[in-house]
Amino acid sequence: MSPSLSSKSGTLVLLIASLAGLAVALYAYFTPLTGVTGTLGALVAIVACFALAVMALLLFKVKGRGVSIALRVLILMGLAGTFFAGILLHQWWISAAMVVGLIGLIIDMIRPSRHAHLTHT
Amino acid sequence: MPTLLSTPFKSIMPGLGAVTALAMCLTPLTLLAQDQPTEQESPEQEEAPSRAPIPLVPGEPTWDSFHGQLNAQKYSPLDQINANNVGELEKVWEVHTGDIADGSGDLPATVWSATPVFANDTLYIGTPFYRILALDPGSGEEKWRFDTQSSLEALTQPALKNRGVAYWEADDPVAGEPCQKIIYMGTMDAQLFAVDADSGERCADFADNGVLDVNQWNDTNDRWPLSLLQPPTVVGDHLILGWAGMDWAYEQAPPGTVFSINVRTGEREWTFQALSDEMREQSGTANVWTHMSADEERGLVYLPVSSPSPNFWGGNRTEEVPLATSTTALDIETGDVVWSRQWVHHDIWDYDTVAAPTLMDITVDGDEIPALLQATKMGFLFVVNRETGEDVWPIEERPVPGGDGSVDGEVYAPTQPFPTKPAPLLDQSEKPNVWALADAVGFGECSALWEELSYEGMYTPPTTQGEGMLGYPITAGGAQWGGVAFEPESQTAIVNTSHIVQYLKLYNREAYEEADSGSGNESGFAPQEGAPYGIRLEIARNWLGMPCWEPPFGELVALDMTTGDVKWRRPMGASQQYGFFMPESWGSPTIGGPAVTAGDVIFIGASMDAKVRAYSLETGEELWSDQTEAPSVSNPAVYEYDGRQYVAFVSGGNTILKDQVGDQVAVYALLE
Repeated sequence: MSPSLSSKSGTLVLLIASLAGLAVALYAYFTPLTGVTGTLGALVAIVACFALAVMALLLFKVKGRGVSIALRVLILMGLAGTFFAGILLHQWWISAAMVVGLIGLIIDMIRPSRHAHLTHT
Repeated sequence: MPTLLSTPFKSIMPGLGAVTALAMCLTPLTLLAQDQPTEQESPEQEEAPSRAPIPLVPGEPTWDSFHGQLNAQKYSPLDQINANNVGELEKVWEVHTGDIADGSGDLPATVWSATPVFANDTLYIGTPFYRILALDPGSGEEKWRFDTQSSLEALTQPALKNRGVAYWEADDPVAGEPCQKIIYMGTMDAQLFAVDADSGERCADFADNGVLDVNQWNDTNDRWPLSLLQPPTVVGDHLILGWAGMDWAYEQAPPGTVFSINVRTGEREWTFQALSDEMREQSGTANVWTHMSADEERGLVYLPVSSPSPNFWGGNRTEEVPLATSTTALDIETGDVVWSRQWVHHDIWDYDTVAAPTLMDITVDGDEIPALLQATKMGFLFVVNRETGEDVWPIEERPVPGGDGSVDGEVYAPTQPFPTKPAPLLDQSEKPNVWALADAVGFGECSALWEELSYEGMYTPPTTQGEGMLGYPITAGGAQWGGVAFEPESQTAIVNTSHIVQYLKLYNREAYEEADSGSGNESGFAPQEGAPYGIRLEIARNWLGMPCWEPPFGELVALDMTTGDVKWRRPMGASQQYGFFMPESWGSPTIGGPAVTAGDVIFIGASMDAKVRAYSLETGEELWSDQTEAPSVSNPAVYEYDGRQYVAFVSGGNTILKDQVGDQVAVYALLE
């Protein structure tokens, strides 16, 4: 794995987790007898997972420290909210995906700082 | 009188989703029995003709009517599915009838509370589009269907409603002759259809080529048709027929006649009227809109009679109306009143007697008693001797509040009946506590509302003052039309109940016209046209729609009928809004009813989350659940076919619980 890709591995995990959550939420919304078929709650989960995926993509692109921090805060809030929504929707796989996404976010927050530290010594 | 639960008032718990981020609290309600001096009624007793007795413990599985059996026990002696293996239950077939509307198009929404009827090796189901389906019990394959071609208009109800079909078969069938077995179903426009159970063809000898126009007898205050939403109760060769209407709309309404109809010809045999001739003109209803039960051995049919019109003001009916809001036992052959017990005197709360009484033989203090248990909207369970109407445990007349003088023309009953046992399903003796969570989210809104609501205990009268009176419960119950199940081996009664706080205010006509937003379906305004007061009835909620009272919002309760004591009780189901499930410890309001089996299993849907569940009869532990399309607001059916036990649920939904409709018949069995 190249250093660049390695530094973005956390973001990649976050992106994959968000897309997995999106897939589960879409299934829950459109499939009969999931208990949340066609509900506003499942729709909110779809939108939240989609937004998380978009923010993960943005995280690949942004350079500025302030923007990155703001984005990560938003992502953290999104992960927490979607995790809780998954619990209340009884869509446990959405919540599991958000836990994985959180791990990705943590990796993303750790890796760049270490990379920067090594570069300056 | 049709319950306000069948009115356009909005869903019970529309704001539970608002507590999504706050789902953390549980404060169970305590329940209190009330000990007061007693004053018992002494109903008359009569001999009755004898037929087959109701067995103490039935040997043959029967599920051929709305409550399974004519005694309304909802009990099956089948035990192939039992408490040990019910967790392995699988859906073996399902059918979607296609008869469904959510109200967004040209058709009114559907409300479907039918119990599947198993008879003639067939599963028969009526739909809210007023069609009859005959299905193979093992596969769901359609044998035939009959379309009444009824107009799909909400003539008397806010939705297209159906509670299924009734079945009759001749004791002495004539070979080769049609209609020796008949399926009956009514329509909202008061037509009763009779079709051959084998072929689905109309029974030509029944009334007018298989159709009886019941509205021909709608001759007093005929403001709306006598809607036949509940299937007739079949007792011997009699169809005992009640009907529903829209009693919240008018002061004077069609009076509640019950008809006995000949099963073969459709000829009227006798009628029962709960109101005097004078009262029929100036008031109305006191009808029977829910199912009835019968004891053929004693020759009695038991009528759950509702309240007179209008629902919430009694100035036009100040004299005593002893048969209203009662359980009344009639002679099956003549329609004569054998005994009657009134559960609410001068009913000004719409406390319609809500379900068929459950007949049971119980052993109390060593004596075997032919008993009857009547569940009510008030949350009281009245237990009497079904031969005589006399108390099994004392039912006491206790003083209740009079009015505050704000209501012109009203009179108040000085006392009301209170059962000493079993304990009430909810504690109506004190104003329920405000739910701290809802109050905090509402910035004190619930507390402020509580201050504006008068409450002097059960039977606080309606008022024009403040925000009105607090009702716990009023129309939402307590118990509903699913009634009480009974397991005869252990003599255990099972009932689901809701805990819902509503508040009711009377408006004089001028104030009503000003206050009525014109959107009565949503605001809870009802005119009581002709009366000096219109009403507003609301669920007590904060601005986000959260219930202002503490959970649980619904429970399942098991009672030891040898002592009248509670064996166990537990929150039932989960409330759900916008798809978000609330903690199960909060329970769910319940509409629908239980079934119980010799396998020590209770089956029930009835909850907001549209799940169907199995509970242990012994402990109340939840043993199994499955997701269905919409809340199952009926009783399940338990039957055996080709040596295999099945449990069938209809998931039709009801806007009382939430805006979710369904057309699913889901049938479960153990895998072979």
